[in-house]
Amino acid sequence: MIKKIAKDEWASGLSKLAKTYRLFGPVAERGPDGARTFHNFKALAPGELPDLDLGNTRLSAKSLVFPQSEAMFTYTLDEDRDDHHILKEVPADGMSRVAFGIRPCDAKALAMVRMNFDTPEYKDPYWLRLYEATTFVGLACDAPCPTCFCTSTECGPYHEEGLDLLLCAEGEGLLAKAITEKGERLLADAGWEEAADQDLGARKAAAEGCITSRIGTDQLAEGDLLDLHGADFWEDVAFACINCGTCTYLCPTCWCFDIQDEVFKQEGQRLRQWDSCMFPIFTVHTTGHNPRDTKTQRVRQRFMHKLKYFVDKYEKGIMCVGCGRCVRHCPVNIDIRKVADLMNRYTSDAAKAEQA
Amino acid sequence: MLLSNLLEYMGIERNRLHMSWVSSAEATKFIDVVTEVTEAVRALGPNKYFIKDQAKVA
Amino acid sequence: MLTYIDEIRAASARLLQEGAVEMVVGFRQGSQPMMNEPCLIRRPEDVDTLVWDSHCGINLTNYLTNRKEKIAVIAKGCDARNIVTHIIENKIEREQLYILGVPCQGMVDKRQIAMRVAGEITEVGESDTEIRVQTTRGEIQTFAKAEVLQQNCTLCTHRNPVLYDALIAEAVSEQTVDRYTDVAAIEAMTIGERQQYFQDLFAPCIRCYACRNACPLCYCPTCFVDEAQPQWVGKGQDAVDVMTFHFLRAYHCAGRCTDCGACERACPVGINMRVLTKKLEKDCVNNFGWEAGLSPDVRPALDTFNLDDPDKLIK
Repeated sequence: MIKKIAKDEWASGLSKLAKTYRLFGPVAERGPDGARTFHNFKALAPGELPDLDLGNTRLSAKSLVFPQSEAMFTYTLDEDRDDHHILKEVPADGMSRVAFGIRPCDAKALAMVRMNFDTPEYKDPYWLRLYEATTFVGLACDAPCPTCFCTSTECGPYHEEGLDLLLCAEGEGLLAKAITEKGERLLADAGWEEAADQDLGARKAAAEGCITSRIGTDQLAEGDLLDLHGADFWEDVAFACINCGTCTYLCPTCWCFDIQDEVFKQEGQRLRQWDSCMFPIFTVHTTGHNPRDTKTQRVRQRFMHKLKYFVDKYEKGIMCVGCGRCVRHCPVNIDIRKVADLMNRYTSDAAKAEQA
Repeated sequence: MLLSNLLEYMGIERNRLHMSWVSSAEATKFIDVVTEVTEAVRALGPNKYFIKDQAKVA
Repeated sequence: MLTYIDEIRAASARLLQEGAVEMVVGFRQGSQPMMNEPCLIRRPEDVDTLVWDSHCGINLTNYLTNRKEKIAVIAKGCDARNIVTHIIENKIEREQLYILGVPCQGMVDKRQIAMRVAGEITEVGESDTEIRVQTTRGEIQTFAKAEVLQQNCTLCTHRNPVLYDALIAEAVSEQTVDRYTDVAAIEAMTIGERQQYFQDLFAPCIRCYACRNACPLCYCPTCFVDEAQPQWVGKGQDAVDVMTFHFLRAYHCAGRCTDCGACERACPVGINMRVLTKKLEKDCVNNFGWEAGLSPDVRPALDTFNLDDPDKLIK
């Protein structure tokens, strides 16, 4: 059932929600001249409305459940204290949260990252407690960017996977479609209950029609892993790379992290930080040996993980939702769309050569 | 000099950074330098800027 | 400038054919409007993939570090100064290089253009003096190049390469500008205002290290931020750790930075960290009469000692 949210009900609903939820949403960063430069997800100040007039946020929504730096434990080395040398879990903020303005690509990415943090064998308590405390409110894309290729990644501008509620702009107000019970509850809590006699089907088709960028991935699962690993194009793909973390830090699906201790005098904390396979120290062993010592090896790792290892391990398509952030912000214009096509074509050429 | 200029530029008062060569034979100079440094820093008070929270005093 | 490419391709093909060099480091057409991708050409038949336009801002010196081959490199004024610094610092031999010097009239700041148009940019074209962009809304907008250059290019006083084997075109006129108005504005602030200014400046930093990695000066095998024993600086998002990284990165560039703008250009969140390196540059000019990368035969300011060096700090 689609609900209608008029412009004034939007603000009043949000202030109702603020009583029981912590609110997050896209907020504009401003340049020195006050102009909006880009959007990031932030906690909303009391009375602040999420800025939904945006292409996409510069950083993905992953930080809402997977902060770049997160304290896991604290400890003391002071032997005069009874609890010395004991790791103490950092208390969780148990309050329910709502994250507004998540694009469908980022939402699908959350569902994808969940495959890593929520498995039958291991459950990551830090990721899960934030994930479960959050109601994810999507924002459909009626004007996708030229770099968006979400329709090639089993996603799309109105894709619902990973969302509890989907919003789309309608005149001055919004339309809202509840996807889960969490979403229904949020609509009720905010008092957004006016039914709209609408269907999102036509809008979805129109938005999908606006996506101009596509990649081919159909051959990736078929290909031989070692063949692809030894393909002749990796040096050319990697040449321009400067091994910064822009692609991996902006990516909604990159989930790698590192655990670091920081100690000041007798007091320490154990922190989890984002890590990046682009960094030379990512794989350095304690012996000093680095199995991925060269730039080409690191670049290959990133693309092979997203477009081959993940495909083979999970059989759920590629580990990319087509948000285009890495394409837009790579300082040297390395383009995953080009690499995906190279890999896909390499595999299909190899298959043809075998048949001949 | 470049370093002290850059630190001051970033908001650390000039008098917090001192540099001096003191030979092990120059006891009087050593006392003078230490006195000058402590007086200069005491006059500025505790630094709250560019210090991690865990390391902050008073 | 639009005709440079013919000469770049011809010279590159000739050098590869003659075996004078093993490879050419240049730019190829990017997949994005206003972006070109650094590339390496080994065969004369591939030189047609090389391009040259107002979107070649990346400093190619970065791709020369520790290479052993004979290389032809396409160098703007700033690239050439960084090549000089590389030679001084033994990161490459002069004899290994054939420098194709490009007199430069500045590279375009794509973010500035993106900010000034509505919608997304799909196509870009240029004449000698103008940039023309087309947007997803079907509109075409034209900008005078001089108005949309990277800030470091508008302040550039060495647009012609200082060291080259061949110049691709006739030298362009050099500009006379006050390079340090932004630095002076920060110097004029009170201590408290400066503290606030730098805290705000670095607040968006995500420590992706694009600024460090795009910089040809940052070639240390292990950067101090990556050291684990001892750990010089925390690796997380603590604001003081973030600022420590920027402060020390800049200081490591003292007397070496050519203000090529690679750091600012690479930053995904648009931080102008150049205000730090420019302060050091200004102090080097004023105190030691030193500008980095002008001659491979002169030792850098921080590498020499003169009895008349100013030393107000040491008591």
